[in-house]
Amino acid sequence: MLRRRPVITGTGIIAAAGCGVAAVWESIRADQPGLRPLTLFSSPRFARHLVGQVREDVDLLAGNARGSRSDKLAWIAAREALAGAGLADGLGGLDPGRVGVLFGATVGGMLGTEKFLAALLRENKSRFGPLRFHECAGAADLCAQKIGAGGPVATLSTACSAGALALYAAAELIEQGQADAMLAGAGDSLSRLTLNGFGSLLLLDPNGCRPFDARRAGISLGEGAAMLVLEAEETALARGAAILARFAGWGASCDAFHATAPQPEGRGACAAVQRALARAGWQPAEIDFVSTHGTATPDNDAMESAALKTVFGGKVPPFSSVKRFFGHTLGASGAIKAVLAVQSLRAQAIPGTPGFEVADEKLGLKPVTAFRAQTVSRILSNSFGFGGNNVALVFEKFPPNSSRREEVPISNSKFEIQNQEFSPSLLASAPAKGFAILGLGVVSPAGYSLADVAATLRGGGAPVSWFAVPAMSADARAKVLACGEFGADQGLDPARRRKLSRLQQMALVAARKALGAELAAGITPEKICVALGTGLGSLADTAAFVENLILKDERAPRPALFSGSVHNSLASQVAIELHCAGLNSTPVQRQIAFETALWQGATELATGRAELALVGAADELNQYQLAAGLRWGWWQESSPALRPFADPLAGRQRPLPGEGCAMFALGRADSAANPLAFVSALRLGRRQELDAETEAIWILQTLARNGIPAGEVDLLLTGANGLRAPDDFYQAVAAAFSRAAGRTVPCAAYKQGCGEHHSASAFGFLTAIGLVRGEIASERPVRTVVLYTLSPTGTKGMCCVRA
Amino acid sequence: MESLIEELKTKIIAGFNLEGVAPADINPDAPIFGTGLELDSIDALELVAIVEQDYGIIITERSVADQAFASLRALAGFITSHRT
Repeated sequence: MLRRRPVITGTGIIAAAGCGVAAVWESIRADQPGLRPLTLFSSPRFARHLVGQVREDVDLLAGNARGSRSDKLAWIAAREALAGAGLADGLGGLDPGRVGVLFGATVGGMLGTEKFLAALLRENKSRFGPLRFHECAGAADLCAQKIGAGGPVATLSTACSAGALALYAAAELIEQGQADAMLAGAGDSLSRLTLNGFGSLLLLDPNGCRPFDARRAGISLGEGAAMLVLEAEETALARGAAILARFAGWGASCDAFHATAPQPEGRGACAAVQRALARAGWQPAEIDFVSTHGTATPDNDAMESAALKTVFGGKVPPFSSVKRFFGHTLGASGAIKAVLAVQSLRAQAIPGTPGFEVADEKLGLKPVTAFRAQTVSRILSNSFGFGGNNVALVFEKFPPNSSRREEVPISNSKFEIQNQEFSPSLLASAPAKGFAILGLGVVSPAGYSLADVAATLRGGGAPVSWFAVPAMSADARAKVLACGEFGADQGLDPARRRKLSRLQQMALVAARKALGAELAAGITPEKICVALGTGLGSLADTAAFVENLILKDERAPRPALFSGSVHNSLASQVAIELHCAGLNSTPVQRQIAFETALWQGATELATGRAELALVGAADELNQYQLAAGLRWGWWQESSPALRPFADPLAGRQRPLPGEGCAMFALGRADSAANPLAFVSALRLGRRQELDAETEAIWILQTLARNGIPAGEVDLLLTGANGLRAPDDFYQAVAAAFSRAAGRTVPCAAYKQGCGEHHSASAFGFLTAIGLVRGEIASERPVRTVVLYTLSPTGTKGMCCVRA
Repeated sequence: MESLIEELKTKIIAGFNLEGVAPADINPDAPIFGTGLELDSIDALELVAIVEQDYGIIITERSVADQAFASLRALAGFITSHRT
């Protein structure tokens, strides 16, 4: 079977080096760095540092977009990419239901959140407005809404490799046939948090970064966004789109080594590069140019040089680092480099490395210093993030050189087997049993095991407790469903535990239960992947770090809090603790972060890149989020309990906020010894209209493609939370589904056990497993459950859990 | 100098929640990091923040931190010579 191959048909970029691909390429041609002193906000500590700030004269409102600075940058880049692909005025001949958005981000609306906290802590003013745009998921939602996407929409937050991982995931969706076109890329604005955070790690070079230079002393922070239109080659050709380049391969790995430092020999980096090459079917010698991560920290450049020498042996191809053009744009970096790779392939020229002057003998390698013309057919682009999250992407000129064969034989027998096993329809149409759920772990308001949860649910729901909200007033409190003392002291080594945030502890406790030693026995770490979603990350660490900045005027910023504030610190701590060196991902798309994680884990299993996938999601309560929700009327202090589908005559309830983490070990169904249950028919999407009939059809189609008869579905398990609009809609979907299935399929809910939070559907998945196993009581036997979650922004996910 | 060393011991035990460690357990001439105290590189950077917070000395380069944290005695010497 021929693989559906992703190609690039549009690119867009906005960054310090220019607004628009043409302007940026002009800076690159002229070797003109984009660093200048910071003016976006005042920073007492870093006032004299050079940064890669987008020029003040760029009109961020040109795109007519509401959102954070990151969101606006993303939409500006997206508009350029769409225009380039001929999609500026609608989606052309593309089916909107098969067009999606994949975004990478690490900062999100932090700049606005800092303003909120400064007003609160310095002037005692409660201006909650900016918190609406706090989340990293905002840009993907904005882009999806603007283009009317109905396909998969997701955001990944793996620090400095987020943009590259977003392209990786978008390419997977195209190759699997889940989408024909994806708007994919990344964007991050500058913020006090990241500036002081990298400062606290002693990773900033005040004079501007000097990649691969003997005197290099750290990064320069930057901001920007880059977006690409990826399409399946066949559908791009069918609609007559001009193809700019081929996206030939992608690979990921995790060092499972340290929270912020890379593994010195670059073992994880090598694995990612080798996987990308294997995916493309290329030999290392076929790479003409390497666009390095090249941040200019002493550790990164040493590690990356070592990795290049390992992968390429004595013949390292020409390489450069563009970091001094842009600063380190964090999540955006990988997407910016992808756009530049496309430019290099079209212009037959490669960027230089401004900032580099003195060769470092210890590295034994020298980058390309200045822009130059060069024949270039195949480019490798590296991105490495905190937590050892490594992603490598390879791009190829289009059309490929005629002297080359179209399909290079895959020499590595290991990968040959994998590619034969791989079927693009595996997820769109999973095998009868789908994937096996081999283990689970839970930390929830309803308990810390499936048995606990079952007992609590029999009693009607999780107990309600009070949570202090001093951000509202000294004695303000909110009713919540909280996790309480979840027993971190039992499973975790005290020396490790004292360095972990509460949310990290929660994730580790659940992860260790899900992935027991006996499950992992005999599986190499490289074959275990982690996808751990979180809507909001470690809010406690994030808030404490920023509060500290504001109250102490940037004196003595705390590195441990910064390290904990990074969204993917959860997944990377799990990887370190449990030795998981496969893909490491942190989806953050609000209420469907868990479904995204599930899809990523299943994808790694389906492609043979992983033998075990550890998937889940975790979020925690925080007073600022509670305060904003109270102000906006999302919840109210007097809610007595969370009661989905409450009798309208008795007055609907507001949902109660909650928290928790649930993790699951997944394997391939054919290799499972004693599975707890099976999961199949995974799908992500976005609701385009408020029509229950259409939603029921979406679910039915997905089931049909996976060979699951609608008549076998016993229950629709939903994210109903007591609010009238979503609850009524879920019930209408169940009614429409029942009519089509020819039997009454009841509509059930799971949030009474976990409260309303972004990772709640992971608890829903646990509930589904409990139901099909008969451990959670139900009125009639349940063997097949459809878990269906819809977020307020319209993104949705579904999966089917079977006995 | 000796009183500063004792003060630093107390700050490290409190700052890093070293339960069950007494000041007498810490050898003032041994490297602070990568030895028996199970302190890692993030802890080293946390100590940079403590030195700035409590003694007003700002460290911005890793090489300076590495030298200052060679031992508690070295750190006490560093603080004494940089304190204004």
